[in-house]
Amino acid sequence: MAFINLNNVTYKYPLTKTPALQNINLQVNEGEFVAIVGPNGAGKSTLCYTLAGFVPHFFKGEISGTVEVAGIDSSKSTLDKWVLNVGLAFQNPFNQISGAKYTVFEEIAFGLENTGVPRDEMKPRVEEAMKLTDISNLADRSPYSLSGGQQQRVALTSILVMRPKLLVLDEPTSQMDPIGTREVFGVIRKMAEGGMTVVMVEHKMEWIANFADRVVALKDGQVLMEGKPNEVLTSELLVENGFGVSRYTSTAREAKKQGLWKKEKLPVTLDEAVEGFKK
Amino acid sequence: MHERLSFFVKRDSALHPLNPLTKIVLALGIILVSIFSPWYWTSHVLLLVVIVPLVFIGKVATEYFTSALRLILPAAGFIFFMQAFFQPIGQTVIFNFWFLDITQESLLFAFRIATRITVMISAFTLFLLTTHPSELMSDLTRRGLPPQFAYVIISTLQILPQMQAKAQTIIAAQRSRGLDTESTFFKRIGSVVPLVSPLVFGSLVEVEERAIAIEARGFTSKKAKTSLYEISDRSSDKFIRWGLVIFVIISIVLKLWLS
Repeated sequence: MAFINLNNVTYKYPLTKTPALQNINLQVNEGEFVAIVGPNGAGKSTLCYTLAGFVPHFFKGEISGTVEVAGIDSSKSTLDKWVLNVGLAFQNPFNQISGAKYTVFEEIAFGLENTGVPRDEMKPRVEEAMKLTDISNLADRSPYSLSGGQQQRVALTSILVMRPKLLVLDEPTSQMDPIGTREVFGVIRKMAEGGMTVVMVEHKMEWIANFADRVVALKDGQVLMEGKPNEVLTSELLVENGFGVSRYTSTAREAKKQGLWKKEKLPVTLDEAVEGFKK
Repeated sequence: MHERLSFFVKRDSALHPLNPLTKIVLALGIILVSIFSPWYWTSHVLLLVVIVPLVFIGKVATEYFTSALRLILPAAGFIFFMQAFFQPIGQTVIFNFWFLDITQESLLFAFRIATRITVMISAFTLFLLTTHPSELMSDLTRRGLPPQFAYVIISTLQILPQMQAKAQTIIAAQRSRGLDTESTFFKRIGSVVPLVSPLVFGSLVEVEERAIAIEARGFTSKKAKTSLYEISDRSSDKFIRWGLVIFVIISIVLKLWLS
């Protein structure tokens, strides 16, 4: 039995005509790192919200099919219980700061306070999570005085401290510079290696190729393709459907037409490209 | 851009470690006594004998007197002049301007009202200067205040400066597209819409995201909430609170008895 089990899920936001998700079938095993790619309006965020329980519990609307995480059916659970198993972090770090706390340390403890974690347990857990994301030095700063990258790591830490079984990330690095991106991916990889199941929406193909176990390509609310990162990210189908691809993939594709790329497989990352052009 | 997000100043004083509720009761007690006391001089005594010494005990004198100059004096002064001019009492005219008379009685009355206002604002300033907002809210939540209510108060305090900053950005952006914000009054009124609407709609979108973010962190969890910091509530706190309640009751009784 898979850890995440989406069975024929179709969902429509209130007051809209077309469904945001159509007949989604997705199985993810425990400890797997799955990346979701797709153009704007493909339903990536909606899928994240569905996994995190906000669809349908927060957004309402019509849902059919079944959503199961860790053996619990979403429709039979409530949001406040669901969030104990599933953590969600999204794009804009600024809006993820609760606004109720004056220091980063308090901000990270917010989720623990809400869920009734005893005080003696709280402090070591916050410290441990901050060490993991390497933000211990920010503990006494105001969350609003931080840079975007730092805020995003605080937001991520605030979720990790709650020890979710599944981590859902909706473009957490979209507003970050390369250094911030590397830091966030570093944290996520650590979590994945520690056995946490991760589902992540991301546009940075090279990073996905380096980190993810599997890639799911969404288009118009449907699963277009899924498989190993290298297979999916270099597929012609993605180009035909207007997906962004890595610059190394498009370079090598052009080179292949000119007879300069000899290998069968196209590259996604710089290393693969260098390797392939050497031959 | 980063401004101070609350009045609170961290000091090591005798006032700071008091329970937040004690400090609210102290502020409210001072205010109620000054309102209910039958004698006009009570407010003056409270100001000089209670508030000013407390300001020094709390080690927030610099901050208090700065805010007194910037906030309390203008407010009290304004009320003083309004009352002095427009209070239609008394016969002894001291000063006359057009149809406005200042009488001895209205002057006294204005002085009393202005002092009372000073006492009120001072008491609250003292409270805000010595109480950390999150401590206050976790203490009140522990005592049964709905956490949603506490959240609204405290996040507003934090988010207002952020919104101010955003409004500045929007103003700059619209001006760079030629919006007139500096000429005649009517033109400026006209430019309110393109300034306010992005701010309001933007904030609405943000509210939804923030709701999701705090929900993801178990905000509506039905488990009893815990608090990161232990907030002390010693027996001396209870003693002070009940003492203040008794003072307020005495002044109400005196007021009823003497009038």
